[in-house]
Amino acid sequence: MTQPKLSAPSLKRRQFIVSTAAAGGGLLLGFGLPIVSRLAKATGAAAASTATTVNTWIQIGTDESITILVGATDMGQGVLSGLAQIVAEELMVDWSKVSAVEAPANPVYGNPLFGGFQFTGGSTSVRGYYQPLRVAGAAARDMLIGAAAQIWGVTPAACTALNGTVVRNGTAQVLTFGALAPTAATLPVPANPALTDPANFRLIGKPVPRVDLPAKVDGSAIYGIDVRIPGMAYATVVHCPSIGGTCTSLPQTPPGATGLINLGNAVAVVADSTWAAFQASRELNGNIQWNIPASAAAINTPQIFSQAQQLMQAGTALVAEAQGDVDAALAASAKVLDLTYDLPYVAHATMEVMNCTASVTPSSCEIWAPTQGQTSAVYTAAAITGLSPAAIQVHTTMLGGGLGRKIEMDFIAQAIQVSKAIGKPIKLTWTREEDFGNDQYRPMALVRVRAGLDASGNVTGWTFRNVSPSILGQRGYIGPNDVDSQAIEGADGLAYAFGARRLDWVPHPAAVPVGFWRSVGNSINSFAAESAIDELALAAGIDPLNYRRNLLANDARSLAVLNAAAALAGWSTAPPAGHARGMAFWASFGSIVCQIAEVSGTTPATLRVNRVACVIDCGSVVNPDSVVAQMQGGIVHGMTAAMWGKVTFTNGRASARNFNNYRMMRMRDMPQIDVQIITSGAPLGGVGEAGVPPIAPAIANAYATLTGQRLRTLPLTGPQSVVDPIFTSGFE
Amino acid sequence: MILSLNVNGITHQVDVDPGTPMLWVLRDVLGLTGTKYGCGIEQCGACTILLDGEAERSCDMDVTEGVGRTIVTIEGLSPDRSHPLQKAWLAEQVPQCGYCQSGMIMAAVALLQQNPHPSDADINSAVDNICACGTYQRVRAAIHRAANGG
Repeated sequence: MTQPKLSAPSLKRRQFIVSTAAAGGGLLLGFGLPIVSRLAKATGAAAASTATTVNTWIQIGTDESITILVGATDMGQGVLSGLAQIVAEELMVDWSKVSAVEAPANPVYGNPLFGGFQFTGGSTSVRGYYQPLRVAGAAARDMLIGAAAQIWGVTPAACTALNGTVVRNGTAQVLTFGALAPTAATLPVPANPALTDPANFRLIGKPVPRVDLPAKVDGSAIYGIDVRIPGMAYATVVHCPSIGGTCTSLPQTPPGATGLINLGNAVAVVADSTWAAFQASRELNGNIQWNIPASAAAINTPQIFSQAQQLMQAGTALVAEAQGDVDAALAASAKVLDLTYDLPYVAHATMEVMNCTASVTPSSCEIWAPTQGQTSAVYTAAAITGLSPAAIQVHTTMLGGGLGRKIEMDFIAQAIQVSKAIGKPIKLTWTREEDFGNDQYRPMALVRVRAGLDASGNVTGWTFRNVSPSILGQRGYIGPNDVDSQAIEGADGLAYAFGARRLDWVPHPAAVPVGFWRSVGNSINSFAAESAIDELALAAGIDPLNYRRNLLANDARSLAVLNAAAALAGWSTAPPAGHARGMAFWASFGSIVCQIAEVSGTTPATLRVNRVACVIDCGSVVNPDSVVAQMQGGIVHGMTAAMWGKVTFTNGRASARNFNNYRMMRMRDMPQIDVQIITSGAPLGGVGEAGVPPIAPAIANAYATLTGQRLRTLPLTGPQSVVDPIFTSGFE
Repeated sequence: MILSLNVNGITHQVDVDPGTPMLWVLRDVLGLTGTKYGCGIEQCGACTILLDGEAERSCDMDVTEGVGRTIVTIEGLSPDRSHPLQKAWLAEQVPQCGYCQSGMIMAAVALLQQNPHPSDADINSAVDNICACGTYQRVRAAIHRAANGG
């Protein structure tokens, strides 16, 4: 994922904030410490970079409670807890005393991997914040030790931090962090505090319970949709039914609503409750005058697909990667496979619909949002209100899923516009129908792989040509001659030892809005590349595991993942009668994952995934149980799209309206997932997205082994599968 | 219209349009936001509550259906997360984003009341709520854990 192209506010290299006004009579210690960051690279090859700045604030209460403010957004991936775990390790406190809260939007909380932007995406949170949070935790610990030393009149070396206290060595004297915090805050911030030897970690690497989960089992966790501000009104939106259309005139305010506001591509309906707004919006639907551009008529799935086919044949490609003379290699090959894979648009379908609460006054703007992009929210608010960033506050709530959809600013901008227009706080909530109909979808794609084999089945040359709309291009982040890094993500730098290779991308101009969908281009390119590898193995008459082993013979880390997955799945044993296994291997976000799916079913419609074995090497681990959860979740997310995910368009209108015609995985569909983590000691890899890419090709490969039938079109279970058979309601 | 609702053991008088879904009365009128909106068409189960002990999806249920009956939401399950399913949920570290989990837990409560030792197949049919994070395996494990006494 690429950082948003917004001008970052100037960052101070070193900041230190002390406040004695912290809640509970405690003390707020703020640390801004120069750190050495690593640049994000999809391959995970980390390189030393120039220093940047990050801060964490540690609040120590007189009751010995430790509150850690976290700059990254928790959308379920456990980062609130994981980042607090890193601080708590160095701070030397009991995990049971630690709580974590989302930090406000402020440059001091930016992720070094995004140039200081507060932005959660690209599986970068632990990777970006790991080192600065260790330094911040260690600095705080050393200051607490320094305070005790000062009080006792001894050197810091005569004191030791232990479980939220400082002990005077060789004595029974103990002072608690709560008692020491006021003195500690007056001391200088150590520049290079000693970090804990990883061999002595008490918390990092341990499956400690997540701090955010208790509030998620008693209904007390506050998501964006739950925010309640005194005096607030409620709103929803009706978007133009066709992409690109705008409202030309507002109809009369319908009964039950208190106002209508023209937002351009949508109309906001204001009312006294969410339900009243929803009802009024439904009555309004046919009465709004829309100016629908003629181009909307071209936004039809068959047209988009045939244009993709034309571009595949004759479009001008941008070459993203080239090595050797691949055309000559293919011409000299004993056999050439020419394989085309076809992927539809898919929706994010976060369980919590888009929503935002905003309160705009002439001098201030306060936002409560389930957002992955705090810095972008500040700039969005500044642009709409004309206020300076200093007058804008962003409160990040819990997110009912993010999946890349809540990076976008559309729903936040709407709430700000409505509050500004009516002069009151507003909670704006989309209906599920508006959510499905106005997503920024995972791009459709057509991918053609041509690969040559020599007489022994070795790959002599590999060409990979991806035709797909550009996420970055639609946003104006890249020029017309630039390769969209998101489109080719993962198809570049494939670990396999091919002879020659070329990676081409042809941008598709379709106007359907596309966006960042968990793992982004990886989940598209993995389906084509890893299906093709199995097809090559079949053509070569070699077992798919051995085929990949041969292609990765000089890559010990990848081989270890492959072999562990094979062992976990029992690859060498016969599967149950009527079942077959298929594998896929994919490196993304700095992690390497191999998944082996065991499927049954003799037709696409009866295809069932019974078991998935998943091995990840993410270098090292902060919370292994969170890594397991992310693998389970990534598999489910990828599997939902692989089995059933599809959004089609007719005259610019999306087919998906609700869960009745956009099938999601449910309990009855859930395979048994077994996860094994390898900690190879390689640089930290991301885990939030790396579990997604391999599952679609693993299932397709298993199905091909079982039936002899190769499925090259998603969704795997067929075009009619999007309708959920469980749907029985008579709604609409 | 003024209606009387018994929610989590407390009787509330609410002044709402009788066609308002129970979900929005709980959330916007009573401030019980633990019950979630997911789809509005009884498809996803995020809005699941207990109505006289049975799991019901509240997003497409007229509020009048709740009059004279006992309503329990996630907030009323226990005062201190001590319900066996809440304890099992934490022991198995089930939630990820957590948004669907109130509904999941309420569906599981109703299931165990009717069927104290459900099979996997029983769970599949009784707890068919949607979880986009993919917590299904842990939901299943937590239900079995609670059924087996924690």
